[in-house]
Amino acid sequence: MEQKLRQEAKALLEQNKVDWIIGFEPGSLKFTATPLITRDKDDTGRLVINPFMVNNLADFLTGLKGRVGIVAKGCDSRSIVSLIQDNKLVREDVVILAVPCPGLIDLVKVEKLVGKDRDELDDITREGDKVIIKVDGQKKEFATTQVLFDHCLACELPTPQEYDILLGEVRPPAPELEVSGQNIAKLKETPPAERWEFWKNEFSRCIRCYACRNACPACFCQRCFVEETEPQWVMPVPRWQDNLIFQIVRNIHVAGRCTDCGECERVCPVNIPLRSLTREMYGIVDELFSFKSGMDKEALPLMAHYEQEEAEDLFR
Amino acid sequence: MANKKVSKKDIARLLEQWSQQFAVLAPSKESGVAAMAEWDGKDTGFLDWYRNTVVPPKASFLPPMEEMFRFQKGEEGYNIEPAPKAERNQLIFGIRPCDARAMAILDMTFKDAYEDPYYLSKRKSAVLVGLGCTNPCESCFCTSMGTSPTDPTNVDLMFINIGDEFLVKEVTDKGKELIAKTKGLKEATKDDEAKAEQSKKTAYDRVTRKLDTEGIKDRLLASFDDEEYWEKVAAKCISCGICTLLCPTCFCFDINDEMVKGEGTRFRSWDSCGFPLYSKMPMENPRQEKWRRVRQKVCHKYEFYPMTFDVIACTGCGRCIRLCPVNWDITQVIESVPAKIEARK
Repeated sequence: MEQKLRQEAKALLEQNKVDWIIGFEPGSLKFTATPLITRDKDDTGRLVINPFMVNNLADFLTGLKGRVGIVAKGCDSRSIVSLIQDNKLVREDVVILAVPCPGLIDLVKVEKLVGKDRDELDDITREGDKVIIKVDGQKKEFATTQVLFDHCLACELPTPQEYDILLGEVRPPAPELEVSGQNIAKLKETPPAERWEFWKNEFSRCIRCYACRNACPACFCQRCFVEETEPQWVMPVPRWQDNLIFQIVRNIHVAGRCTDCGECERVCPVNIPLRSLTREMYGIVDELFSFKSGMDKEALPLMAHYEQEEAEDLFR
Repeated sequence: MANKKVSKKDIARLLEQWSQQFAVLAPSKESGVAAMAEWDGKDTGFLDWYRNTVVPPKASFLPPMEEMFRFQKGEEGYNIEPAPKAERNQLIFGIRPCDARAMAILDMTFKDAYEDPYYLSKRKSAVLVGLGCTNPCESCFCTSMGTSPTDPTNVDLMFINIGDEFLVKEVTDKGKELIAKTKGLKEATKDDEAKAEQSKKTAYDRVTRKLDTEGIKDRLLASFDDEEYWEKVAAKCISCGICTLLCPTCFCFDINDEMVKGEGTRFRSWDSCGFPLYSKMPMENPRQEKWRRVRQKVCHKYEFYPMTFDVIACTGCGRCIRLCPVNWDITQVIESVPAKIEARK
């Protein structure tokens, strides 16, 4: 699959079908892949496909000029389609190289299970629905449900529906919704006062690095309200109250755009469980409007159109 | 002078003694995020899990946010009330040599170049107790940046792992005075010293990431206008603030007033040159494009700081590599900086 990807990507650049290729190359640390954004056909030889290609590459699309060939897992493709729905992107300007994704490995989960830092592990390999970890000369075997990212366990679209070139076989969705939503379910059972304390505590750690926002393809505003200074909507001082307001507003702004790719939570350097908020919003959007972002490029964006039959009394 | 030693199981007793006099901070984990936090009076489990904190110890001196002063609108102008000061001096237990060196680098700006009262009120009275690394991370490159996993240079006391005990090195007068008042330490033997030497060597050899900074200042100067190079380097950066805010030597801050009904507070909080707002001015933003912001970050550490203070403002702690959402790796970037702008097609 990797060889085919490299050939296709190289050909796209050579034949001037695209100006850019966005994909993954090996990262500089163990068990990492890093985004490769290039115009140089020779760079395509470094493209990889592995269970550590965690970034949502659609995030880079709005920053590039010209036509782009992009390696897309199911989640990336949903973000691409969502950007098309929102008129941030023209379908003809992207060549989607679809990679069927069996789910990505969450190193934080691996570290917890093994009780060792990722640096100390010798190898992590995927074999079917097992993940084998080599550490201290021993082999440890885990079920994928134990080590994949929560959002991967709930993945509804492992293979892009919208694509130009398909690499490999289409994978059926295998959502482990229960395991994936464990944390959220637990939170929802918590009494409101206690839940409030929980979030207060979590948001006290926020340092306002905005990695959650910047890694999110749905957060495409050129001017974010947190950076408005006249008037100032929210203090840049990282108090829990301001941090919480930032995140709540962000969450509402991406409602109907969020595809549950899980990047906001993954990139958070202080481990705030942000997906518990975004996934809940994703569920509410689906429940109220039967809408899932990034599934159909012809569908109008949720928050930018209006249907008679969904009108509330207020507007009738 | 002979060094001292202390048994690992006596660390709690040691910290207990110091807690009488200081606000003792030690590595602590909340929701998996390690930071220096007020020691809880019993837990020394960090001795087993601790490699380094996510939040650097600079946060104890240059906190993510702090009140500078409060103000009220009076009859004739504003009345200013200084922010309440911490009651107790800080003792940071377990600071790593890279982060201690970072404190020395911060001192150049906040103590030597000008005197910052907020920083110095905490810094001057603080005791830094270093803890040598035994197990450096894959992202660590301290040995290329003028320090090492067991370097005692920038701390008051240095603890070096020698098995079930720590060798305790008194580095400064402040450290010596503290040890003189501390009970429960023994004299280190020749055998202990030999073990410490071995421990130093082992840790040193475990730092496998190397960075050659030879001529970097000049290379950066020469390539400053190489837009094509910087655009390439910046391509995958998402302009978040992780690498700067969590860098132990980055110190940029923002100042904001909050005022409600005639009463207010002036805050100082962490800021990052990675943010477009950082350099935004009324008419324009000289660093609107991402590559200019990335270049600023790199040049500040590896060119401007060396020009001003003759030291690179990076200690090889590796946080920016380890925590980066896109694995943007400063060591790869520094190595790739061209010596001159190449003629391109």
